[in-house]
Amino acid sequence: MGNALASQPVITVSSLTKYYGNFKALDSVSFAVGKGWVYGYLGPNGAGKTTTIRTMLGLLKPDQGEVQITGINPTENPVQALQSLGYAPELPTMQAFFTGEQMLDFMGKMFGLATQVRKEKIKQLLDLVGLEEWGDKKIGKYSKGMVQRLSLALALINDPMVLIMDEPTIGMDPEATAHFRNLFTTLSKQGKTIFISSHLLDEVQRICTHVGMINKGKMIFDGPITQVLEAFTQQWVIEAELEKVTKTMISSLKKLDYVQDVKAERNKLKIELKEKKDFRGDISSEIFKRKGVLLSLNLHKITLEDAYLHALKGGQ
Amino acid sequence: MNAFQRIATIIGYELRRALAKKKFLVLAILALALQVGIFALFYYFFTNPPPGFTIIGPALEEVKVMMWLVGVLGPQGLFIPLIAIVIAGGSMSEEYERGTADILLSKPITKIEYMTGKFLGGLTLLGFVIALTTALGATLAYGLFGPQESIQFVPVIYFALLYSNMLFFSMAFMFSEVFRRTTLSMLAVIGILVASSLIGGILSTMYFMTQEQLYLEVSKWLPNWSVSNLPSFVASELITAPESPFVSMPGGDIQLAAAIIAVYTIASILIAALKLVRSDVTKRTE
Repeated sequence: MGNALASQPVITVSSLTKYYGNFKALDSVSFAVGKGWVYGYLGPNGAGKTTTIRTMLGLLKPDQGEVQITGINPTENPVQALQSLGYAPELPTMQAFFTGEQMLDFMGKMFGLATQVRKEKIKQLLDLVGLEEWGDKKIGKYSKGMVQRLSLALALINDPMVLIMDEPTIGMDPEATAHFRNLFTTLSKQGKTIFISSHLLDEVQRICTHVGMINKGKMIFDGPITQVLEAFTQQWVIEAELEKVTKTMISSLKKLDYVQDVKAERNKLKIELKEKKDFRGDISSEIFKRKGVLLSLNLHKITLEDAYLHALKGGQ
Repeated sequence: MNAFQRIATIIGYELRRALAKKKFLVLAILALALQVGIFALFYYFFTNPPPGFTIIGPALEEVKVMMWLVGVLGPQGLFIPLIAIVIAGGSMSEEYERGTADILLSKPITKIEYMTGKFLGGLTLLGFVIALTTALGATLAYGLFGPQESIQFVPVIYFALLYSNMLFFSMAFMFSEVFRRTTLSMLAVIGILVASSLIGGILSTMYFMTQEQLYLEVSKWLPNWSVSNLPSFVASELITAPESPFVSMPGGDIQLAAAIIAVYTIASILIAALKLVRSDVTKRTE
């Protein structure tokens, strides 16, 4: 399940084990994230996603194993390890007495940014997250979605090389979700490494280059997103819609070497293949030979959700 | 950015955070109002003595010129220790309760720098409050009772007040980190404050009844003894006006009181630091 890293990994998690009392929250979790990757970290509730992230930030001490951010252990040297890192927590809570601008300014100070740089950054980030009208308002007056947006702005205040986000678009409306999805892709193109924990599989499938899956504290998959779809696809299926389906046509299709089975439902055929290969050309020729009129022919591709659910069941 | 700058950033943050707390503001306003009230009562009493109550002229004059001591030492009785507890009791715990500790400690700062900034920020605020009550006390004394004697010692007594209040401040700070629950930490320190006052009272009574020195010695190690007495010990040491009614108390052991405060303070800070460094940053608990 390993994946090839083009260069030195930006995030390295090695044999991470974490106990809460007697409960093993993380069981020897390992993965590595390369520069410019958008790494989607998936798992059901309580799987250990947030525990992994909080350990990566040095907020939790691992019982075994180690984390390195740009080659530095954040527990041992948080000042260096976290200098080039941005973090947006899940359902963030912020100091309600600050305005959005003051909060950004304070975080800018934490990263040692000069006054003028902070001033420019604040304006730019408030615009970027769509809070330009709310910068001078107290955070206590913000909606959940607005706090989430501000949290993303805070994560970007230091122009981080690594961005870690725990459910970043939760509580956002669809428009904002789409906006941030594009933003993540843009940031990734700029060479930033993005680590996203998310329940939104469609979102992950759209923006992530790599995926890690965790269940009950154990990594069950780690690799490129194309590989995850491949790895968890048991069978490829071609769906054909015809003007009319005949018994002769079904039996002739069944006789083809690469066909496992054919199921018919009204004028639709579900052709299960023996190999993970696109046989649509051959199937359409066969249908044409049998005088069938083809209305549509689709290769049913597995979605990340299919793969994810399959992985959770323990299959591969 | 060096460690001092990071600590300074947290000091600034802590000042803002504490100032935004209603509990703190209410207590500070109450302390100032009480001071004004006490002075108003004294002024009324001196200018309109109750029937049958005769105040001998020279004695009254002696009291008047030392009224600044009432203003400066008066709030120490209850309000200043309570304000110290309110500032420090939520300093660490509120960040855990609200989940903001995650945001702060996921930034390039060490836990010790974070804690130092929080401690010094709270202490700076406490210093402001004591400066305010001290200045108000001295001003009221001057305004209502005319020129004051030995008032040049105000700064020294101010530092004695600040130093003595570090005991309950650091104790509340420690509980705030150890329990990570604001109400619990405040209750624990207020409990210690009340219990040490009660036990101190009982021990003093035992001493007067039996003349057994041990009772007195034990009572000195209770946290309340040094906190309440150090500023007045310092005042009696500095003000050499034997006829003054406010400094007629016997000069106490300044070194011992200061040492006891130092022991409690250092122990509290060390426990808080150990707990912070060795534990995980807990998630939101509110």
